[in-house]
Amino acid sequence: MTDNKLSRRDVLKVAGVAAATVIGLKVVKPAQANESAPTGGRQWAMVIDQNKCTGCGYCVMACRAHNDVSPDITWNPVFEAGQMGEKTVYLPRPCMHCAKAPCVEVCPVKASYYRPDGIVMMDYERCIGCRYCEVACPYGARSFNWEDFTGSNPAVPEWGEPEVDRRPRGVPEKCSFCYQRIDRGLALGLEPGVDMDATPACVGVCPVGARLFGDLNDPNSNVSKVLRENPSYRLREDLGTGPRVYYLPASAEKKEA
Amino acid sequence: MPKNSHVKLVTPWTLWLGLMGLVLLAGLGAGLLVFWKGLGITNLTDLVPWGLWITIDLSSIALSAGAFSLCAGVYLFGLKRYQPIARTATFVGLIGYTMAMLALILDIGRPDRFWHALIYWNEHSLLWEVTMCVMLYLTVLVFESMPIFANFEWLRKRFPKLAHTLEGVHHYAPILAIIGLGLSSLHQSSLGATYGVIKARPFWFKPEMSVLFMLSAIVGGISLTLFASMLAGRLTKKAKINDALIEKVAQFVGYLLIGYFYFRAWDALATTYTYDPGRSEGLHVMTKGPLAFNFWIGEMLLGMIVPMFLLLYKRTRQNPFWRMLGLFLVAAGVVAFRWDLNISGFLVVMPFVPGQEIAYTNYSPSLVEFLSGAAIVAYGLTAFSLGVKYLRVVDHSLVEEEHETVNIRTNETVAV
Repeated sequence: MTDNKLSRRDVLKVAGVAAATVIGLKVVKPAQANESAPTGGRQWAMVIDQNKCTGCGYCVMACRAHNDVSPDITWNPVFEAGQMGEKTVYLPRPCMHCAKAPCVEVCPVKASYYRPDGIVMMDYERCIGCRYCEVACPYGARSFNWEDFTGSNPAVPEWGEPEVDRRPRGVPEKCSFCYQRIDRGLALGLEPGVDMDATPACVGVCPVGARLFGDLNDPNSNVSKVLRENPSYRLREDLGTGPRVYYLPASAEKKEA
Repeated sequence: MPKNSHVKLVTPWTLWLGLMGLVLLAGLGAGLLVFWKGLGITNLTDLVPWGLWITIDLSSIALSAGAFSLCAGVYLFGLKRYQPIARTATFVGLIGYTMAMLALILDIGRPDRFWHALIYWNEHSLLWEVTMCVMLYLTVLVFESMPIFANFEWLRKRFPKLAHTLEGVHHYAPILAIIGLGLSSLHQSSLGATYGVIKARPFWFKPEMSVLFMLSAIVGGISLTLFASMLAGRLTKKAKINDALIEKVAQFVGYLLIGYFYFRAWDALATTYTYDPGRSEGLHVMTKGPLAFNFWIGEMLLGMIVPMFLLLYKRTRQNPFWRMLGLFLVAAGVVAFRWDLNISGFLVVMPFVPGQEIAYTNYSPSLVEFLSGAAIVAYGLTAFSLGVKYLRVVDHSLVEEEHETVNIRTNETVAV
């Protein structure tokens, strides 16, 4: 009968094995899992030239119209980044589409995920609205739908027509690099970054051509060329998130020229 | 009703239930309003997306930690005489975890999709891990509480067989204690790590977060159980407490407090000697800014130092009033810690534009948040008092039969 009795010692043994198993699982799992965005195929990136940006805000409006963004939310705000001589330097901030995106890592239900082309996407049908992604994003790129967006979009039709569904109340939303324009354009045989119908709306609308879009894996794409030939930086590079949005810093000589 | 006229309607008990009923009704209204109108009627913003409800959620889970730690003590480390206290703690835990669930359902933007976490797994996410552990542990708590529900007089009379079955579950108490210990160790610390892994918020981003959450949960959880037991013992004859037993555990809490104080103080000190942008500002917000009173008085003085004295000094510990006060302060201090911790990370707004200054924001809960939050607490208080009255939740004279005859062949399953 003693064999059938559960002694304290046995219990602790079981506990030990159970704990070791759990710890083992926890250690092994992440190493096998995909830890950052895929890097093959096309890798979309955006370059924003701060020498050219005048802070006109057309990109904000085009984004609002094409993605049907509520007036309470801005996917792509333009900030003042300082003065250069007499001119103000601006910094537009879309989603950085990080290669190691904190929002993707922390989402409990994988509602945020990497597309094969590096775009960080949101599945608005899966999201439970916990807002952990918002807490984790270093760029404030996510906005929560605190209210229902009903009624008309003031940016439509002047700045474009909505190409995607409105997001429901209770989920965060963010810039998607206008994935719908890229996908539709590729299906039509267009080249994103070259043909504006296949390029994010903010790029096409910019009156001074401050934004470039293209494939980082293609050495001949306009973004690859510009990044090869000019100094550039990314926001909060110290965090190791690997943003796909590059900035060409404003320089005094270029401003004067 | 002339026949019942000899039954007194206005008693402290009915008054208490009436008061709780009012709070529950108001909170129910507020909660329904939130579901109907959405989170826009709260004071939460994109800068402070987690507020009062998350604090209630974190605190409920922390203060439920008495269940796993006392069950582990009783069933795994052989401290059998504390079993009656572990029973109370289990019931407190069951209440606490359901409170946390209620707070979460309010807090998430899409409560209709709460089950997604069970279907769509992101094993990278601390929050996913916490959700899974909490769900599983709540199941464990339901099983652990079955023998308690078997004490319901009505159930015993009406369904004696069912009551007997429920009672029999306590034979599995050691196994449940193992699972509970594992799951709780995971999610109590993971809740801290939920904050600790956020690199974008330097004031949170540190490894000791999980240690602090775990330790404070054990300290606060045991304290709340002891306090609730003593309070019940003073208010009703239904609760029978063994004061010597409680005093012994209270002394243990006093020693644990020293450990908690050590870690918390070092945590604050270590943050002092860093000039990482955002860290110093976070510390400033906590020690000199809007959270200073909470931190110095709520957490440090009243939450740790005073109760440390009250629980370790023999004369105050032996005095039920001072002991109760000490235990209550510990639990309240843990709630203050959760509030400070959550809010401090949000109040400092880190810049991402080069050269931009660090900014500050603020948050105070709206009326709907308060009312619905109060109702969650009222639900907990009501459930506990019903438990005391009808389920002998606080009854130290109730001793379960021995549980050592569990028919599990551990020797065969454990290969060492």
